[in-house]
Amino acid sequence: MNLDELTQTSGEWLRGTGPESDIVMCSRIRLARNLNDFPFINRASRSEKGEIETHIRTAIAAVSDNLAYLELNQRSKLDLQFLVERQLISREHASADYPRGVAIGPHENVSIMVNEEDHVRIQAMHSGLSLHDVWEQINALDDQLEERLSYAFSSQLGYLTACPTNVGTGIRVGVMLHLPALVQTKQIDKVFRALQKINLAVRGLYGEGTQAFGDFYQISNQQTLGNSELELIRNLTEVVPQIIEYERTARQKLVSERRQHLHDQVSRAYGVLKTAHTISSEETMHLLSSVRMGINLGLIDDLEIPTVNELFIHTQPAHLQKIQGTPLEVDERNVARASYLRSRLSNGRHTEAN
Amino acid sequence: MTCQRCSDEASVHLTETVDGRPTELHLCVPCARKAGIVLPEKPPALGLDAVVQGLIVAHVGELVGDLAELACPDCGIKFMEFRAQGRLGCPADYDVFRRGLIPLIFRHHGATRHVGKIPRRSRAGTDRARLRLRAVLRDTIALEDYENAARIRDQLRHKDADR
Repeated sequence: MNLDELTQTSGEWLRGTGPESDIVMCSRIRLARNLNDFPFINRASRSEKGEIETHIRTAIAAVSDNLAYLELNQRSKLDLQFLVERQLISREHASADYPRGVAIGPHENVSIMVNEEDHVRIQAMHSGLSLHDVWEQINALDDQLEERLSYAFSSQLGYLTACPTNVGTGIRVGVMLHLPALVQTKQIDKVFRALQKINLAVRGLYGEGTQAFGDFYQISNQQTLGNSELELIRNLTEVVPQIIEYERTARQKLVSERRQHLHDQVSRAYGVLKTAHTISSEETMHLLSSVRMGINLGLIDDLEIPTVNELFIHTQPAHLQKIQGTPLEVDERNVARASYLRSRLSNGRHTEAN
Repeated sequence: MTCQRCSDEASVHLTETVDGRPTELHLCVPCARKAGIVLPEKPPALGLDAVVQGLIVAHVGELVGDLAELACPDCGIKFMEFRAQGRLGCPADYDVFRRGLIPLIFRHHGATRHVGKIPRRSRAGTDRARLRLRAVLRDTIALEDYENAARIRDQLRHKDADR
């Protein structure tokens, strides 16, 4: 797999299709698995990590021809950051320095991280609210891998993981939501508190500890033991429509009570993105968020959601450098970002790059 | 208030019910002893130290005593190290540290029993024999005992072939 070619495309999960995709950017499930005869990563020697990688890589190759495997140990920081920005590996996986890798499926719907916190972390993502489809895909892949790998499992505690907070199903069921109106009407904290009370976690776009870039929030289960995978999926499937409803109500409130203000905000955001000559990543995310909401509310009609979704990712630092084909300092990146945005937004009706 | 038996300052104050009526008694310590009242050796500790000590025992009780020093024979990690790092060393730790882990697991998940997917293969579980061999292998390599390391590698390979 040539990473530079990926700059010309984007993952299926950015397509902006599927149920509720104006608010639900994507649905994601990950499974944590470990081999039953090796220490967990923090206790495994370097050569054992190498053996683990070989075992799992062999199993992945036997499962499907469609999974492209990338060894990560020799990769440049830029490549690793690029994969993080595309949500194919985690920040922790990027920053490690031992044998490890990632297998990437077609359309980037699936990735399998090898030697992250657990030996195997399978992830599947679809655009829109489609957790059951995601579960079907990931469950089948897990079955196929399990035919070739002996997983650590206990009849009482389920799948055994490096951190006991993941033990049991080893599942994290999540949806990424775009909630700009709840942020603007200052109701977002109330929603978070309610979610925490029912043991759901809220994270930013890039996982644990990251800020909520561009008003994107990931909602996911925290408990992995004591409920089946389908029960955990059902929990989220029941809660998410309520949050969607709150966001829609907040948007309607903005439209009915502050229409001029809202229209002004959206138009200015679009205007800045189309004309700026230098712009930070943070400001870009912030403005793209307004534009994205503006499109969904019919205030902008010459731009499509998939383009905006893609711009959230393609204006990140590593993507810009890949697209430009050269390493760039912060100031240079801000100039390159503005130039990239102008070129993507300048020609009337816009479609996806791929 | 002075002692009701002598004129010293009273420091023992008791209320007794005699014939259905409350009767107050104020005595100094020597007179109280003479009256056969058993006094605590030291006043009960209610200071900050005691409160802090109580909290430590309540919250990190597992970090003092034998559990803290308990080490997994398969991967070598001590329970205390797990508590510091938040990550276990190998699948066998769930057996070895069971006593310390189950309360933690219950606190996080509100449950201690898996009810989800079960691997179809009977081989899944924890292969402690191989985990142990790998532990011995790591030790022999650390000691630069390459002859024995090669022998253990062979054993692992034979077990691979049996699988």
